[in-house]
Amino acid sequence: MLRIKMPSILVLLITLLLSNTAYSTPSDAKVAGFAGADYWQVVKQGSEGRTQDKGSESGQLINVAGEEWRHWRNQWITPAGIFAIGGTLAILAIFYLLVGQKKLEQPRSGQLIERWKRLDRANHWTVAVLFIILAISGLSLLYGKFVLKNLLGNSMWADYMLLCKLAHNYLGPLFVLGLLFMILRWIKHNMFNRTDLIWFLKGGGIIGNAHPSAGYMNGGEKLWFWLLTIVGLIVCISGLVMDFQNFGQLRETMQISNLLHAAGSLLLIAASFGHIYIGTLGTEGALEGMKTGYVDETWAKQHHDLWYEEVTKKSHKDQ
Amino acid sequence: MRLTKKSDTPAAPSQASGLGLSRRRFLKNSGVAAGGVAAVGIMSPGMMKQAEAASTSSNAPTDIKRTICSHCSVGCGVYAEVQNGVWTGQEPAFDHPFNAGGHCAKGAALREHGHGDRRLKYPMKLVDGKWKKLSWEQAINEVGDKMLQVRKESGPDSVYWLGSAKFSNEQAYLFRKYAAMWGTNNVDHQARICHSTTVAGVANTWGYGAMTNSFNDIHFAKSIILIGSNPAEAHPVSLQHIFRAKERNKAHIICVDPRFTRTAAHADEYVRIRPGSDVAFIWGLLWHIFENGWEDKQFIQQRVYGMDEVRKEVKNWPPAEVESVTGVKESQMRRAAKELAENRPGTVIWCMGGTQHTTGNNNTRAYCILMLALGNMGTSGGGTNIFRGHDNVQGATDLGILSHTLPGYYGLSDGAWKHWSKVWDVDLNWIQNRFDQTVYRKLKPINNKGIPVSRWIDGILEDKKLIDQQDNLRVMVCWGHAVNSQTRGPEMKKAIEKLDTLVIVDPYPTHAAVMSDRKDGVYLIPACTQFETYGSVTASNRSIQWRDQVIEPLFESKPDHEIMYLFSKKLGFDKQLFKNIEIKNNQPVVEDITREINKGMWTIGYTGQSPERLKLHQKNWHTFDYDTLKGEGGPASGDYYGMPWPCWGTAEQGHPGTPILYDTSKSVAEGGLTFRARFGVERDGVNLLAEGSFSKDSDIKDGYPEFSEKLLKKLGWWNDLTAEEKQMAEGKNWKTDLSGGIQRVAIAHGCAPFGNAKARAVVWTFPDKVPLHREPLYTPRRDLVSKYPTWNDSESMYRLPTMYKSIQDKDLSKEYPIILTSGRLVEYEGGGEETRSNPWLAELQQEMFVEVNPIDANNLGFKDGEEVWLEGAEGGKVRVKALVTRRVDEGVVFMPFHFGGMFQGKDLTDKYPTGAAPYVVGEAANTATTYGYDPVTQMQETKVTLCRIQKATA
Amino acid sequence: MARMKFLCDSKRCIECNGCVTACKNENEVEWGVNRRRVVTINDGEPGETSISVACMHCSDAPCMAVCPTDCFYQTDDGIVLHNKDLCIGCGYCLYACPFGAPQFPSDAAFGERGKMDKCTFCAGGPEEDNSPEEKAKYGANRIAEGKLPMCAEMCSTKALLAGDANEVSDIFRERVIYRGHNDGAWSMSEEDLAYDATQQKA
Repeated sequence: MLRIKMPSILVLLITLLLSNTAYSTPSDAKVAGFAGADYWQVVKQGSEGRTQDKGSESGQLINVAGEEWRHWRNQWITPAGIFAIGGTLAILAIFYLLVGQKKLEQPRSGQLIERWKRLDRANHWTVAVLFIILAISGLSLLYGKFVLKNLLGNSMWADYMLLCKLAHNYLGPLFVLGLLFMILRWIKHNMFNRTDLIWFLKGGGIIGNAHPSAGYMNGGEKLWFWLLTIVGLIVCISGLVMDFQNFGQLRETMQISNLLHAAGSLLLIAASFGHIYIGTLGTEGALEGMKTGYVDETWAKQHHDLWYEEVTKKSHKDQ
Repeated sequence: MRLTKKSDTPAAPSQASGLGLSRRRFLKNSGVAAGGVAAVGIMSPGMMKQAEAASTSSNAPTDIKRTICSHCSVGCGVYAEVQNGVWTGQEPAFDHPFNAGGHCAKGAALREHGHGDRRLKYPMKLVDGKWKKLSWEQAINEVGDKMLQVRKESGPDSVYWLGSAKFSNEQAYLFRKYAAMWGTNNVDHQARICHSTTVAGVANTWGYGAMTNSFNDIHFAKSIILIGSNPAEAHPVSLQHIFRAKERNKAHIICVDPRFTRTAAHADEYVRIRPGSDVAFIWGLLWHIFENGWEDKQFIQQRVYGMDEVRKEVKNWPPAEVESVTGVKESQMRRAAKELAENRPGTVIWCMGGTQHTTGNNNTRAYCILMLALGNMGTSGGGTNIFRGHDNVQGATDLGILSHTLPGYYGLSDGAWKHWSKVWDVDLNWIQNRFDQTVYRKLKPINNKGIPVSRWIDGILEDKKLIDQQDNLRVMVCWGHAVNSQTRGPEMKKAIEKLDTLVIVDPYPTHAAVMSDRKDGVYLIPACTQFETYGSVTASNRSIQWRDQVIEPLFESKPDHEIMYLFSKKLGFDKQLFKNIEIKNNQPVVEDITREINKGMWTIGYTGQSPERLKLHQKNWHTFDYDTLKGEGGPASGDYYGMPWPCWGTAEQGHPGTPILYDTSKSVAEGGLTFRARFGVERDGVNLLAEGSFSKDSDIKDGYPEFSEKLLKKLGWWNDLTAEEKQMAEGKNWKTDLSGGIQRVAIAHGCAPFGNAKARAVVWTFPDKVPLHREPLYTPRRDLVSKYPTWNDSESMYRLPTMYKSIQDKDLSKEYPIILTSGRLVEYEGGGEETRSNPWLAELQQEMFVEVNPIDANNLGFKDGEEVWLEGAEGGKVRVKALVTRRVDEGVVFMPFHFGGMFQGKDLTDKYPTGAAPYVVGEAANTATTYGYDPVTQMQETKVTLCRIQKATA
Repeated sequence: MARMKFLCDSKRCIECNGCVTACKNENEVEWGVNRRRVVTINDGEPGETSISVACMHCSDAPCMAVCPTDCFYQTDDGIVLHNKDLCIGCGYCLYACPFGAPQFPSDAAFGERGKMDKCTFCAGGPEEDNSPEEKAKYGANRIAEGKLPMCAEMCSTKALLAGDANEVSDIFRERVIYRGHNDGAWSMSEEDLAYDATQQKA
């Protein structure tokens, strides 16, 4: 639980007593419950009373966790997200400027090898598009009011935000399905092995001319896969918890879900920039594999030599 | 850019027309509410979905009506805002002396009456189990024909007229007169099962059976003992006054109740007693008071008769015995007694917890005796503050919707009939002949008490040879009554099924319409509420308030007095009934009825409150003091608000009303009073008149009997009468002199018209002269039965055989080991049909429940929130939700009685006419309650019986 | 400048729920949405204490801080209001609110909660004062008429106070002075008496 003792509990108490007491200056306020100290002791721990209100958690006078949630969300995750995303973009930009695109070292052979089946590609692009929509709408929910509200004006802003929320809530579950499918379909390619260790030791060959060996998937791709699998599932589950609040989840569950969801999503978004960079600008010939399903022999040899050997061996055998 | 809302703080409060109030003044006086933006503007729009009503635009002009909340007897003032005939707003009446703008859940939800979503919309009858719409004409004709047929076959006593405390005074009076002219005393209303034992017990102690002081006067109390009352739920606004005493006067509050109520939560001392041990508890207090000499000896010597006999009985209640019977420890008893003795004046507040017992009359008298012993009577801050229930239960009682008396407590003697036939201006013989002429047990039905509301089911089910009338009841008219507020549910179902016809006149269909398995012979006739008509209403403190009409009757409903007119026309006595009452557009003129009330109600002084004076008070309610209720300046200066009865003499005599009964520190002309000389002048050679005590400015400096022509002559005051008065007063007394001259002269000499006597601690006409503790009929304490047995069975009480001993003798405490008691919830009123049909209220109490102590719940194997079956000692079963709480003691369970629409596990929602089922239904607590009736008034026993509980499976 | 606030004197609150229905009445709030509620701690036991709670119009309002659409605004009087046209029903304000004040008319799958509703201190919303649109969306605007919230105005025992912080404090302080004694079986500690509402001024 996120139960951290904070002066804010005190502040909540005072807020109850006097709504407009300076929330931000707890030191000025003298806490003295006029109903007696014992009572307030109970109340400020967030314990439940009875009420005729049938709403969820209506018996709880003070939502102790709410302030903690707000603190984590607004003081930590919001700025951290900016750092993560901004930082990633900055690093990529610098990297691109310094290193530039990784070109094919040999001329294209013209010989194509099938790398992604139609279903793989469909799956990838569905998940990718949904990811982008969810990322944009999610980022809007977190940061939009600082930027877009004034740009769009009240009416457009309202429509846009409603669209974001609807998109997020209705497409989110589809993304979950797509991601699950992807994980199940690709997990066999993504088991780590010794090759990957060497691949990592050689830094994936990002810089210089080292060419660490790689199979169907290289170490970096596998890393991305597992990041998506683990963090993605956390994001998915926490998202579903919030999207289907009709099962009577308590606020605290939702608060935790929200924090995990936000942190996880921001991490994925940041990481996705790396993925997108490598898959497009960063590596010549990478995108066509996912576009057409086929890659040039040269590209395969350069980036996935073990896979290339495997494929060619297999095709020889077939002949 | 952040939106910033424009909202300047008004600089100074402005006075708005209509709401002649000053929030600021109110704040200053009471220091209770707040006022940064204290100013009043005329209200604006309201959007309201009301059936049939035209939609209102926000700029339609607003009418402000003054009305009184109809949900309890505190009498809270309300400003109703009406636009285009739609009730669009409700504003707090800060300037009203009773509530100062405050409302409980019910009062604050009053405007819903203007929606009436779940109302009965038109006359209906049950045909083959289906509700069929009728025209008004059809309904009146069919019901009327049936009544006439039954009258012919079984006599007038076979139709039962069950009236209502929800009537205005005028309707209540008219209803009693109507029943008299139909020819029966089988007429009654909720007061029977509410405070009848109070009225009887208290009236027989000192003269009048009503709250002696007022809610506001509690401000002056130094100690407050609440017993069997939970005003925090039943009369929340009264807590405003109690808190004022507590905070400003340092009043010590003692709350005595089997249940730790919300009132107890705010008391200084909570005393938990076993249900049904009130007399033992009071005698336990008096034991300490007498033992320590804390009683007011002078007061007792001058103004109390028979305290020595009480002393003798109290000697039997030493602390150990009290603890054994009530469960209260000596230390607490002593502490409570000492607090009461050291903090005088003190007041006692009781309600249904004291009255609704087989021994109710003993309880109420014991409370009175406690106050007499402490000398707390007739003084500001003291008194017996008996909180009545329904908004006009005091008025309806005063105006005699009772089977044992005509209006004004005149009784049923030939003299009483003579008085009223004179007031009604009809031939006495004609009325007498309207009745069954047979003599039963030496009494003709016209002089014999009718069947009380608590027993109508016996009037149907009992062997007719054992009833003191011609036949069983065959037609039952429930005119504004919730039958689920009455005990013995399963027998009631049988009774309803045995009836020829059941007629329900009510704004709602009520539980009665659905609880039986009848397939036909039920008529529903839509009456409107008090907000759709106008008239006067008597608050618990005896103040009479005038209500404006807020809106026109909703749907096809009609005001009760119009329905009475329609029936009387059909039944053939409208000429006599409305002899001096004008009929305009089919409606009797309300003010004419008020005037007729003024003409005849001399006994309790309903004579001075003319419609004109009542309206004057209504328009100027802001001029009355919040503490004393006295008018300060303005057109009603010097009057007390609402002219609390007795308001002696005629309106022209201008009596201000009596704010505190028996208060000798004021002259009678200014609202002072003595104890009433009601019980003779001496008994066994002992003087019953006051000794050396008299009201201020009295010409007679000692006790004196009630005034009559003879006494005036004897005193040489006869010639103070005018010639005209002399003519009318000849052979009359203060109660029967229609000129008011006798009262006028008595008051002119500073005397109380009803004499100046002692209060009596011994009521020699009652079954127990001195109140005795008697074990309940169904008691778990079998060991106490032989020592404190109940009475013997009686062959006839109120026309019916009544059982006591034969029930108590059966030991059911093994099969049914748990005490069942019942009570109120703040959100609902009475049987709850009206309030459960109000969504704002219904949302707050959606389920019927039973409160059970955790120990019992654990022993019986169920948890909080689980469904249980509760079975009463006579076999009535209810399926309810368990609310496990320490609010009740081990071995005691509590159920609220406002629920209906379910019966023994069966949901009856489908049986209501379409669209008229309440929002919330639940088991009626009284399905499980049992037999037991007070021998003086036939009050039902709802506060202590036995039951068993088990977890409901599937 | 007035600073509006509620104060519930729990020594006077008897859980009569008058404030709850007064709110329903004045604002025509639908079934299931409760802008105000009364909570009783230690229900049915010594120390039973009730308090009426709604939006407390915090100065640094958490709802405002977390709202993704920035639909909240604070009036010059310190009343926290919201613009339903901007509300997307995400529920964040409910997560953040210390008092459980935000209410949602619906509770369906895919986060379909409808637009948030809460106590407006009877001050309506961003629409024109007392226009039919404002009434329909937010209920009454008593503040614009120079009146105070209905719940407090109708409180049966005057436990619930509303209005300018200074005046509310004065009233409460006066009560404390009157109360003085502290000998009740169910009353509380010395701190009751020591409490000085004026020290809490903003």
